Amino acid sequence: METLIQLTVTGLANGAILALAALGFALVYKATGVINFAQGDFLAVGAWAVFAAIATFGLHWSLALLFGVAVAVILAILVERFVLRPMIGESVIAVIMVTIGLSAVIRSILQMLFGTSPRRLPPVLPGGTVELAGAVVPVNRLVAIAAATVVLGAFTVFFKRSRHGIAMRAVADDQQAALTMGISVRRIFAMAWALAGISAVIGGLLIADIVGVSGEVATFGLIVFPVVILGGLDSIPGTIVGGAVIGLLVQYSAGYVGGGLQQVVPYIVLVLILLVRPYGLFGEIRIERV
Amino acid sequence: MAAISTGVHHRSYRSELRLRHANAEHVRLAIAIALLVVLPFLASPFWLTVANQVGIAVVGAIGLNILTGYTGQISLGQGGFLAVGAYTSGLLVARMGVPTGVAVVVAVLTTAAVGAFFGLPALRLKGLYLAIATLASQFIILWVVRNWTVVTGGVDSLVVPRPALGDAVLRTDFAWYWVIGIVAAVCVVVSRNLFRTGIGRAFMAIRDHDIAAEAMGVDVVRYKVLAFALSSGFVGLAGALTAHYRTIVTFERFTLEVSILYLAMIIVGGLGSTLGSILGATFMIVLPALITQAGQSLQGSFLARQLPAIQLGVFGLVIVLFLIFEPRGLARMWQRTKDYFRLWPFRY
Amino acid sequence: MTRTRQLLAALLSLALLATACTTDDDGATDPTGGATGDGTAATGDPIVIAAIFDLSGATADVGVPFADGAKAYVEWLNANGGVNGRPIELLSQDYQYDVANAEQLYSQYQSQGAVAFSGWGTADTEALRTSITEDMVPFSSASYAETLADPAETPYNFVPAATYSQQMRIALRHIADASGGENAQVALFHHDSPFGLSPLEDGRQYITDNDLDITLEAHAMPGGATDYFGELSQAQDAEYIIVQNVPSLTAQLARDIQSQGLDATLLCLNWCADEVLVELAGDAANGALGILPFAPPSQATGDLSAVESYLADKGQTLDDINLHFTQGWYQFSVIVEGIRHALDQGLELTGSNIKTALEDMPPLETPVTTAIDFTAESHAGMQSVRVYEVQDGSWVGITDAITP
Repeated sequence: METLIQLTVTGLANGAILALAALGFALVYKATGVINFAQGDFLAVGAWAVFAAIATFGLHWSLALLFGVAVAVILAILVERFVLRPMIGESVIAVIMVTIGLSAVIRSILQMLFGTSPRRLPPVLPGGTVELAGAVVPVNRLVAIAAATVVLGAFTVFFKRSRHGIAMRAVADDQQAALTMGISVRRIFAMAWALAGISAVIGGLLIADIVGVSGEVATFGLIVFPVVILGGLDSIPGTIVGGAVIGLLVQYSAGYVGGGLQQVVPYIVLVLILLVRPYGLFGEIRIERV
Repeated sequence: MAAISTGVHHRSYRSELRLRHANAEHVRLAIAIALLVVLPFLASPFWLTVANQVGIAVVGAIGLNILTGYTGQISLGQGGFLAVGAYTSGLLVARMGVPTGVAVVVAVLTTAAVGAFFGLPALRLKGLYLAIATLASQFIILWVVRNWTVVTGGVDSLVVPRPALGDAVLRTDFAWYWVIGIVAAVCVVVSRNLFRTGIGRAFMAIRDHDIAAEAMGVDVVRYKVLAFALSSGFVGLAGALTAHYRTIVTFERFTLEVSILYLAMIIVGGLGSTLGSILGATFMIVLPALITQAGQSLQGSFLARQLPAIQLGVFGLVIVLFLIFEPRGLARMWQRTKDYFRLWPFRY
Repeated sequence: MTRTRQLLAALLSLALLATACTTDDDGATDPTGGATGDGTAATGDPIVIAAIFDLSGATADVGVPFADGAKAYVEWLNANGGVNGRPIELLSQDYQYDVANAEQLYSQYQSQGAVAFSGWGTADTEALRTSITEDMVPFSSASYAETLADPAETPYNFVPAATYSQQMRIALRHIADASGGENAQVALFHHDSPFGLSPLEDGRQYITDNDLDITLEAHAMPGGATDYFGELSQAQDAEYIIVQNVPSLTAQLARDIQSQGLDATLLCLNWCADEVLVELAGDAANGALGILPFAPPSQATGDLSAVESYLADKGQTLDDINLHFTQGWYQFSVIVEGIRHALDQGLELTGSNIKTALEDMPPLETPVTTAIDFTAESHAGMQSVRVYEVQDGSWVGITDAITP
């Protein structure tokens, strides 16, 4: 029973971080139709920016978060303007490859700036452990879950209620119609990328605290794909559910089955979902069969 | 394409069916062949190894081009198929003593079958979803390779004895250059001819609009699976060649980075063009080698210290810049060069 | 469109300039191989040695100090007489733990006349195995896998430290002694690679051969994991957890063990038993045991004045380096001593002569290891190692050298 609780908590914590990364992915896809293979690297940029702010400049973590947000937003807008804007109208594979190339460039710059040795942050989230129904659970995981839930909730409210959020949904639905309504599609694209950057920074901060910063963060970010496919590429609530499911599945297979299965489980789930219900649990259904 | 040459006049079906028509084309081909023949005698050992790697990459790139360039099916799983080809061929020779030639043929067929199997999702998925499904296949194949220890030896490396014909053992880079060169040349000819046949045209029809193709009578199911099988066959051949050339097979050679490298090759070279695959493969392998050489001569400089990061960065930058400024790749740039000279002094 | 291009080009050049101006803090020392003027500088025909290091790949956290130590040794040697008056020319490169890079660099250095080669990882040492045998190049790497120490399999590879299997045997012997005849539950947590699995089978063999009352289970530590709770819950009953991995991942494991309140004792094999582990794991590392074939400088059993004088010239002391530095230093000196032995016997510097010289050499004493000795039957140079424990943030030897 204790194992179950422990694995559940860590699984949900990982899932929460994955959901944050997947959120950025879904945002960009929903608003601009672009698949961002560099999302894992945005996560890494967020983590390193926060690390640099705390360790090198000695800022308090809230200021470091702001610094990280600023860096991520600037990067996102630059990417949108100079890399993605020329690619409008190109084929899917061209766009995919551009983001892959971008991912390589970001990774190389991070490597040149920070090297590849892993670093530890001075702890931001409260440390220590707590007893939960007989199981010993690290506190920082619980805080991570709470933080991610708050952020995800805020985003959901943003999309449902605020003017900009509704404008984004309009653009995702039909660009032409949105233009006729007076919505600046360019601004919306930039905003979508900026929000993706912000969610990446928050996810990055959580990872930096729990695990430490290193080149491994981008690898962790690769699992974003099973999450978004499971949840549905253009669904925000889907990313939350997808993240939770994948996070839990990985932890359970590590704990109860072992033998390295946990590495491949997300991809098996991915293939199964693609075969059975390609648009994910909550995605928009577009029927086209040959 | 041949249609660009002007002043070509066919008087028989036979002459129309030839691969190359104009004198200019024949001359260019002769020059290229002459350069390739002379290369191994002049190149340093380092560049000879690079040339061999390019040859193997050309085979793989041609295979991927058949799938992605001509049939429009995005695949991120080449690393996995390379692994299937390499391990099949390597295991047959190392464990069962099968002659190398036979092992390679079996490896090609096996990889084609595996490719067809992983191509089944393509029947229901398109575009991004297919890309992600093939990404999953890459991870799953590698995981199987690493954990099916009984067959593949798991994470241990597999030692493959060198191919031998009686007493002559195929050992030196020089000898391998000719073997790889001939195999690559055959693959190039096969690929170019493929797209003049009905099968090739069916592939291109599927790329352009699969529903319309189905309406015209092209059996999309059959041809999609065939495209995956053919493409994987070529990629399996490249994998088998790698296994025998390197004599040691480890799973680390077939990671996601390799899949992305092959995709980069055909995109930088130009999708849907055999010449593009050749140019792309050469470019993407020679460029890191050049950077390494530059790093060697500039020992101690910033370049040398940050060499791997710079190689990674240049790789990404090349992809991004090509896609933004010349999305149709090196083949298109070559085409434009030829047109410039052909049309000179006119602009068009 | 042109303005965008100009803007893009300007930004790119700015970015490149920015990275060029950043000081890289990997601490790589200047890789000169030439003689430094100091009166006793070496002149004469340079001896070319090639080396590949991992400065930015998966094992960079141990690769960087090792490379620093090796390069420092070459620099010090050239300033102090070289090898019989001849300087060492060191050709080296960061290969990022990538096998293809290793192969490319090997063929490149071969064409540049290297007489000996220092490799690094298990995967690339395996990949280069046939080549170094065919080309007859004496090879020594940081892969201490026992399969690489068998002259029948790899006649030109030399393993200067205790092999992973030997370390495993020492670890099991120590556990058996500490358990005093009772059953001990042991888990091996290993890196998910050939490096990680290397000691497992020989460990099991040792248990059966010596009838030890030990239950041994193996668990892989996959990359990209945020925690090892899953694997630890599978190994709940383990009293000892032997770890064959790099320090960063081991530190995560140590913290997870602490946060779960398990009372398993960590026993690190050589690559994770170092100062980096202590630094990353903090107080979670206290009480951990380790097998350290190359002792930390503070626990050296001999005279470290050569290293100290080199460091003093750079304005540093022994406190500024970690044990991988002295490991790189003295491991490199083993090859060089073999070359010196060949030259002393008046032999020409060919691969096979250096190989024979290394085998015939008398046991080599270094200040941080037990004696290193190669024979024609075995290229495993070290048989016994002390067991250490982390006490108050540093490694302290708790036993004498154990021969399993």
